Amino acid sequence: MNEDRVLQALKALADNDRESEASAKVEERVLRGFHRHRARIRWHWAGVAALAAGVAIVAVLWTNGPRKVAVDSASPVIPQARKLARPSAAPVAALPRHAALESSPVRRPETREVVTDFFPLMNPAPPFERGQILRVQLPAAAMQTVGLPVREDHLADPIEADVVVGEEGMPRAIRFVRFDVQ
Amino acid sequence: MVTDERLLEAARGGDEAAFTALFRRRQGAVYRFALHMSGEAAVSEDVTQEVFLTLLEGGGRFDPSRGTLLSFLYGIARNLVLRRLEKKRPEDTDARAEELAADEDILDDLTRRETIDAVRCAVLSLPMAYREAVVLCDLENASYEDAAAALACPVGTVRSRLSRGRAMLGQKLAAKPVRSLS
Repeated sequence: MNEDRVLQALKALADNDRESEASAKVEERVLRGFHRHRARIRWHWAGVAALAAGVAIVAVLWTNGPRKVAVDSASPVIPQARKLARPSAAPVAALPRHAALESSPVRRPETREVVTDFFPLMNPAPPFERGQILRVQLPAAAMQTVGLPVREDHLADPIEADVVVGEEGMPRAIRFVRFDVQ
Repeated sequence: MVTDERLLEAARGGDEAAFTALFRRRQGAVYRFALHMSGEAAVSEDVTQEVFLTLLEGGGRFDPSRGTLLSFLYGIARNLVLRRLEKKRPEDTDARAEELAADEDILDDLTRRETIDAVRCAVLSLPMAYREAVVLCDLENASYEDAAAALACPVGTVRSRLSRGRAMLGQKLAAKPVRSLS
């Protein structure tokens, strides 16, 4: 069969299928995916904003004379920028701390802190010699800003974080805290 | 008319109307590409859905200097189709084509529908590299440049594969003269 006949046959197939398209169910599923994606974007930026606000508060507190917290100059160890370390424990999920504490009216259960590694907030970071660690509360969405996984239904949950502030008052790194009930 | 690129930009910013418009404009082409490559409507629906969800997550990788958004979508669809076809036994489509070719007299009684199905089977029996070129250029009327971008190969390669694919189709359909379908 010569090429013209082949092209004719192919055109017939193309014309026959011209109106073929995905069913309405596909559009529904894709739009549901779009809504999930949009929600993630919103929480991501909410997390960024919360983290920025938290860091700004820390910086202000520091410059206005923070309460001193003992800090070993050799610790914490801040990983190099862009080399985000894995959390030292399971992914930090929304924290049941308050709920857990309130669940036992007679005797508060013991809790144990589980922390992630520190994540750098400055890139590149100037040399670190002295500083302080300040504990702040942020929405869980803030963890996404450093690449940690957070379940979608926990993005708004409050979590606690330790922010390392250098002696010049700049926030250097952050780690997230989870409280495990023992 | 708003360009695909503008719609994508707006959709990634959370504009549902833009995303819906982009989906409705391009889903048919993606669906038909997957259909002609796989021969299965269910696979085509799944691929179409995944293509647009992937676009939401990875749309930032789209580079207008390397091709149109449609060719980018074809490229995603191609990868998804190949992944699915790899799981299938390769003799599936060949067996269907051979079945049709076995009876040399059958074409005398072919209706238009059957002829189109014969062409469809012949396309499906082409080796993947030639099938991709024929489906994109002859069935979807993609330009050589768009096809090259989708297939991640030079334009010259698309031309040669298309030529070879048409020749193979001619041989497959030779025993079954296609009726005038214009």
